[in-house]
Amino acid sequence: MLPAGILVLLFFLIPVVIVIYLSMTNLASANFTSNLSKMEFIGLENYRILLNDQFAKRIFFNSIFYVLFTLSMFNVGLALVVSLLTTHIPRGAGFFFRAIWILPRVTASTLYILIWKRMIAEAPFGIINQFNGLLGLPTYNYAADRPWEFVILVNGFIGVSFGMIIFTSAIESIPKDLLNASLVDGSSLLQRIRYVILPLLRWPLLFVVTYQTLSLLTSFEQILLLTNGGPGLYRTEVWSLAAYHRALSNYFGNAQWGYGSAFAVVLVLIGVVLAVIYMRVFRFSELVAEPKVEVL
Amino acid sequence: MEVTLENLTKKFGNVVGVENLSLDIRESEFVAFLGPSGCGKTTTLLMIAGIYKPTAGAIRFDDRVVNQVPPQDRNVGMVFQSYALYPHMTVFDNLAYPLKLKKVPKREQVERVQRTADAMGIGQLLDRRPGQLSGGQQQRVALGRALVKEPDILLFDEPLSNLDARLRLSTRGEIKQLQKRLGITAIYVTHDQVEAMTMADRIAVINLGHLQAYDTPEDLYDRPKTLFIAGFVGNPPMNFLNVEVRREEGAFKARNHAFALTIPPERGEKAASQSGEVVLGIRPEDISVAPEGELEGEVAVVEPLGRDDLIDVRVGESVLFVLADPHLRIRAGDKVRLHVDTGRVQFFDQKTEQSLLWS
Amino acid sequence: MAGTATTSPTARVFVLSDLVRAVRAGLIAVVALAAGAFLFESVLRPLIASATVDETVTQTLAGLLLLLMPFVGYIASSSTLRPIARTDILRAVLTALIAAGVVHVAVVAAQAAFEVGPFAERASLEMALVEGEGGIIVESMIPGGAAEQAGMQLGDVITGIRRDSVDLAGLLTRVGQSQPDDPLRLRLLRDGEEMQITVRVALATESNVDALLQGVVIALIVAVVALFWPGAWTPFALLILFLVPMVVGYIWLIIATFSYRTQGLLPLDGSGNIGGLTLENWRFLTTNNIAGYQFDIVRITLNSLLIAVAMTVTVLLVSSMAGYALSRMNFPGRRTFLSFTLILHGFPAVTLIIPIFFVLINLANLPGIGQVVGFNTPGGIALVMVAFELPLGVWLMKGFFDNIPWDIERSALIDGASRWRTFRQILLPQIRPGILALGIFAFISGWNAYIIPATYSIGRGTSNLPVFLNSLLGETSPVDWNQVAAVGLFQLAPIVVFFVFAQEYLLNIYAGGTKGTT
Repeated sequence: MLPAGILVLLFFLIPVVIVIYLSMTNLASANFTSNLSKMEFIGLENYRILLNDQFAKRIFFNSIFYVLFTLSMFNVGLALVVSLLTTHIPRGAGFFFRAIWILPRVTASTLYILIWKRMIAEAPFGIINQFNGLLGLPTYNYAADRPWEFVILVNGFIGVSFGMIIFTSAIESIPKDLLNASLVDGSSLLQRIRYVILPLLRWPLLFVVTYQTLSLLTSFEQILLLTNGGPGLYRTEVWSLAAYHRALSNYFGNAQWGYGSAFAVVLVLIGVVLAVIYMRVFRFSELVAEPKVEVL
Repeated sequence: MEVTLENLTKKFGNVVGVENLSLDIRESEFVAFLGPSGCGKTTTLLMIAGIYKPTAGAIRFDDRVVNQVPPQDRNVGMVFQSYALYPHMTVFDNLAYPLKLKKVPKREQVERVQRTADAMGIGQLLDRRPGQLSGGQQQRVALGRALVKEPDILLFDEPLSNLDARLRLSTRGEIKQLQKRLGITAIYVTHDQVEAMTMADRIAVINLGHLQAYDTPEDLYDRPKTLFIAGFVGNPPMNFLNVEVRREEGAFKARNHAFALTIPPERGEKAASQSGEVVLGIRPEDISVAPEGELEGEVAVVEPLGRDDLIDVRVGESVLFVLADPHLRIRAGDKVRLHVDTGRVQFFDQKTEQSLLWS
Repeated sequence: MAGTATTSPTARVFVLSDLVRAVRAGLIAVVALAAGAFLFESVLRPLIASATVDETVTQTLAGLLLLLMPFVGYIASSSTLRPIARTDILRAVLTALIAAGVVHVAVVAAQAAFEVGPFAERASLEMALVEGEGGIIVESMIPGGAAEQAGMQLGDVITGIRRDSVDLAGLLTRVGQSQPDDPLRLRLLRDGEEMQITVRVALATESNVDALLQGVVIALIVAVVALFWPGAWTPFALLILFLVPMVVGYIWLIIATFSYRTQGLLPLDGSGNIGGLTLENWRFLTTNNIAGYQFDIVRITLNSLLIAVAMTVTVLLVSSMAGYALSRMNFPGRRTFLSFTLILHGFPAVTLIIPIFFVLINLANLPGIGQVVGFNTPGGIALVMVAFELPLGVWLMKGFFDNIPWDIERSALIDGASRWRTFRQILLPQIRPGILALGIFAFISGWNAYIIPATYSIGRGTSNLPVFLNSLLGETSPVDWNQVAAVGLFQLAPIVVFFVFAQEYLLNIYAGGTKGTT
């Protein structure tokens, strides 16, 4: 208990306070100090700048675009399709395919992105361009011309597994009687999916959508490694990556800790609000049942 | 060991588990806690074991108040409904675990486990795991584990309810015999009154966290002190009719608009002391179908039970359960006359629900 | 005996109502996909562009839908005939072929109307070329087209673009990548004389009769295949199709690791021929040198291992005890702590990456423990990662403990065990699969950690394998991808072991994070 408490305090509670405080200072490389009391407090100035920042507007819409497309196509869409397919083939085969989908999630991000960089590399090295050549299609410089496609694809392939597992266990827990009943009624496979399975997946769907929205909104590791927000000015920059860039890894060598923190605070607030909503929606009270032994 | 419960109360937040429960259990006595599920009987048992701490009141083992004594220092043995065997240990390790915790020497552990296992008839299963045993075998391991440390008190929490009917019948007798032979004080929680009636020296009937009665099986059956007990004990349940009892021409008559019964004086006198309507209770086996019977009614339902037919007879506005000889071939819709063994009727006050005969 | 014509229904070779049904299904599919493409291209694309997002995804998706449109149409039309194919093959095939033809006409008409597919406008020089001796020969030109306007003549032999020599495929690729009005300066030979002509790329519709004819053949083939395709294969085919882009990448990794160099998936030797399999790429394990970049692979691996092991041990210890306490014990603040853990479990810790920098720097200033867990130490990195992993771990462990029946614990207490002993001897052994799963999970996250070590350590000394792998891409130029692939496979090896032998645990744990919340 105690160690858990200390770690939570040290790396969750205190940082939340610090990030809010930092976002109200003008800390940057030029006047850097790690001593919190020596930082210059400027109130809500950073937030005022943020509101008027044209790039911030672009980054904001980038994030929404990225989350919506990745979520709908992969984290929910493909995840649902894969779980439906793998539950309608023999068990062992279904398990095999699901296991392969885990692979991108257990591969180190740097290695995973390294592989993708080779996938999209220009001819003659790129794997996709090699296939293009075989099919008689023109070759492309994907990194320069199609960055968003691959940002979404790369993150989507990682994101499928989460929804896939949740949906699969939900589908497998549908009582066999229910499926048999619909078979007896003479329904086709598609009708069964439409009228029996999907309605029962409502809660898992809601859960995956909310949880993965938050994950996508805040994860930036793959984008950092794949495009680093480029090519060009902020073409694939998303909000969380912007916070990281501003504060920790600036192109121009001038880290703006305070301004970066203002970006981060926005995410922290969204995170806290969504997390509290889960707690309400997903029946928290059932999980804190009283212990049934009173011996210490 | 004697166990005494004094005004024992247990609350979970605002929910009352048990309230003001007082009873004493004598040395070597076999007591059953009988009641519907959720009535607080298991809660009481767990308080005696030390798993729960009482909110108020006291638990005494002999003269010692044990409210704050942790379970490991109480020397009780308990058999759970689910058996609660340790699934990752062999039968031997399950049986030896209490001894290991008592720091009994290794050699003696082996000897005592073997002896207990042989007595339970599971001596050849010692190297199996619980998952590989049948329900009956698991039950014996659980019993053996409770006995192997030679406890002062044996606690049973519905130990037979997961067994099939035949096994339940034989195990019932074995547990009873074992307890008498070892002379260990035993408390047995059950919702099955046949179990309680056949095994226990005394039965504590508990309902909604309150003690309803604490008596020998015979007294509960033949001399119920409350309407609740009369209705709860016995299957099929006792019939209840509203009647007025009056002395008429030297005899006591119980009557309502449908019938009149003559009551023997020793019961009639006490019932007649109450003015107005009282509740008359009569068990199904004390009513018989007879041509010269005092009551007349129409058979509504016939349920063959094998040895008897249970028939529902409509008499006036009330329905009586009657046990009838199957050879009479009574059918629904038949008109029958019923004879009541009035020497066995019970009377209760309508308001207080207390017995007018055995207060 | 005069033969009597059999008139049983199965002998009828063609039924009009079947055809109508098949064509209708095909057309509905075509229209649906066309509508989808329209939505992406003409509705979503301008909308997203107006929100200043510079993307081509909608365009790609629209193109994909249009590409699939005819095929989905043929398949949809054929699949309505599958029941007939079971009893009357001839009738089904005939109907399917006619239906596919009708659907194909509709597709072509739609493509012509929307100027897509073979009717799409694409970058063109508006002349026909053939590969000839000494270069590319101009065979014909569209009158008034880009080539003619630029002054090209029939029989010109194109040898290059600017100074680079070019073959036909290269030229076409170059044209395909050009935007309208881009100038292409062609080097050519006219009557043996070298000259240069600048042609401006034009947009042109080359309605290609060959393509249309090929389209008919494809339509007929698809229709027949769809008619007899075993339905049980469909899920497998789709699942394999989805996985191809990813699995191909891993296949490249393995090929690249063991070959001298690679082009796409082809291993090549020094002179560019297929072959060149080698173990040379693994030399970095002993030489500690890739293309002149020095490092200490043992040290880096140990760092990785240290982070992973420290993380596994700490996460298991802390979360099993905290999970037990939260599941089984009553103490003041239990509810608060639980709700807090749940919130943290949903909360994205990575958003705190900036302030934790300050926490670590200030920890480093503490005497004593600062050297172990501060900024730029493996201990500090492990500690942050443990903290990030804990809410999940505690929550999982609580779930595992919740599933153990209370009677087992009560029984142990009555048998004479203390609470602590019950925890160790009775409860822990029963959640072994859970502990194993969480342990593997923690190990993998520690072993794969990139963003936290990369952010909170300076220089290579404390970096782990993933950070090192990434630094190879920056520090060596040109990057020797085959040696880098070997380092990558080296990093992946332990993961593969877990992946092969503990798949079940992995699958469960990645869902287990949500156990009890759904």
